[in-house]
Amino acid sequence: MRTDIVRMYRHIHSWIGVACGLALFIAFYAGALTMFEIPLQRWATPPSALPSPPPLSATQALLDATLAARPEIASAYYVNVATGPETPARVSWLKEARRSRDDDGPIVEFGAALAPDGQWVSARLEAAPVTGLIDRLHQQVGLPLPHEAAMVVTGGIALLYGVALFSGFVTILPTVLRDLFALRLGDSVKRLWLDVHNALGVVSLPFHLVMALSVVVFAFHDGFYATQDAVVYEGDLQQQWAQGRPPHPESDPAAALLTPDELVDRVVAQAPGFAPTRLEYSTDAGGRVSARVLGADPRYALRGPTFGIAAVDPYDGRLLQTDYLPGHQPVYAAIVSNFFALHFGNYGGNPIRWAYFMLGLTGALVFYTGNLLWIESRRKFAKRDSPLPAQTRSARALGSLTVGVALGCVAGISASLAATKWLPGRVHDVTTWHEGIYYAVFLAAVTWAILRGPARASFELLWAAALATALIAISSLVAALVPGLGGWNWGGTTLVVDGVALAGALLFAYLARRTRRRVLGAPHDSIWAADR
Amino acid sequence: MNARTRLSSRNWFGKASAGLALGFGLAVAVSGLFAWFGPGGLLAGTGKTQFNMWLISPVWVATLSLCFLFPSSRSAWYGLGLANLAAFGLLAAGRWLLA
Repeated sequence: MRTDIVRMYRHIHSWIGVACGLALFIAFYAGALTMFEIPLQRWATPPSALPSPPPLSATQALLDATLAARPEIASAYYVNVATGPETPARVSWLKEARRSRDDDGPIVEFGAALAPDGQWVSARLEAAPVTGLIDRLHQQVGLPLPHEAAMVVTGGIALLYGVALFSGFVTILPTVLRDLFALRLGDSVKRLWLDVHNALGVVSLPFHLVMALSVVVFAFHDGFYATQDAVVYEGDLQQQWAQGRPPHPESDPAAALLTPDELVDRVVAQAPGFAPTRLEYSTDAGGRVSARVLGADPRYALRGPTFGIAAVDPYDGRLLQTDYLPGHQPVYAAIVSNFFALHFGNYGGNPIRWAYFMLGLTGALVFYTGNLLWIESRRKFAKRDSPLPAQTRSARALGSLTVGVALGCVAGISASLAATKWLPGRVHDVTTWHEGIYYAVFLAAVTWAILRGPARASFELLWAAALATALIAISSLVAALVPGLGGWNWGGTTLVVDGVALAGALLFAYLARRTRRRVLGAPHDSIWAADR
Repeated sequence: MNARTRLSSRNWFGKASAGLALGFGLAVAVSGLFAWFGPGGLLAGTGKTQFNMWLISPVWVATLSLCFLFPSSRSAWYGLGLANLAAFGLLAAGRWLLA
């Protein structure tokens, strides 16, 4: 490999890294947490005011009562096959929550149940908004912008990230075999960070390529389709989509619908292994009902983040379209579902989810160590018998930003999660409070890092991250010990959330101790030395 | 490529803008070639429509990564411009032959 090419790509790699590394850190850290969105949502959701849901086989009475009480929801309503703390209602629907007469509020879900005395009751479902915050931070690389604007930034970063992967690969190509798993602990700090960065980067390169290429699509698909429609399809694209819509049920609209449990049985008979989680009904102007079945099958790639979809005839249970039904998709649709699944990590069940969780965290570490390397390679070393050289302003600034943004993101997410069990019932707008807590902690951390300098802020903010993360588990403990405060615990797998928080807190505390020792003993010609 | 030209990251802006703009054009043309002449042809269902769209991403990222191998900004614009002409020319010619 020509040395000038390697040097050129090394420059490109390091400048893209400095420009995008921190945004990617936020995307990867928050993204790792979204791998357990459903358990996290269960952990975070307060107990519902609704009576407990009827068994699926006894849903028809509730459905009839609901459609009699709320005839306007016939156009779109759900039967939840899988219920639990995060989905407490068997029958639910979406509604725009208006805060005032002129203001369109956010879309919220309502659910219905029958009280023991047979009376119909409905209530707004308080699905916890904190997982939505984490998902938004993940998608928008932490930027509090309108979604469309933020996705342009995310897409641009994904393009640069793709180039960074290629250029990083070229950079280490000449020495890849010799250096790959070498961890030269003794030589120098720079060598050590370089070895860690390279080993993690090379081992997880396929994962990173998947992320970069899929995010370019997620961010720009509307523009891609519009361009293709103009220059490739001659304006035929809408027609192609129309032809891909599921066919309408052929049954007589006056015929009786199957009950939800009959419908589920017929779907599973046609697609064994598919586990339905939700039935989505809609009624057209002529009174004809259509249905979609959402569900998962861990043997296959899923098109949605946690589900695949089948269109089904609600009158006789026949599958009408299997384009998004795992294991029954046409070839091209199956390939595309694989692209989505490789991003979401929704194939193979929990082992793959844990693997993606770890890959996401190590990905964040790759960006973190990349910044440390950039700083270390600009270090001015002290020469014997000369005055101590000043470190560059840019190295100190990047050091502060790296510590403040990365640890601010960690501490902010933890703080927002720790507040989950204490906001409902105490504040009016829970969603805004979660966002406010995150950004308050995040901005405080960045400000702190700039004011205190990278050396001291590095261990102080690690302590802050440890404390905020410990508060997640402590808040569950308080909810268990003092039931009068209104907190809750669901037990079961949600205990893993508290366990992971505790492990994270201990890890951050350990790192804080080690970092403090390193800062106090650091050579004076480094931005990581305190007291300057 | 001229072996005597030493590549460097100094003239990155001209090359990168060529890679960004003409790389996107090239990616759309390649996706169009696959849409019309790839297995299944033009009307192979919405699964293929989506697959065609996904193709843009890897071709665009690859072009944006490789454009730095051009010795100069000018050669990047010329080279990728020619590649665009060739790809869109193939697309037009193929569609004319099919029609």
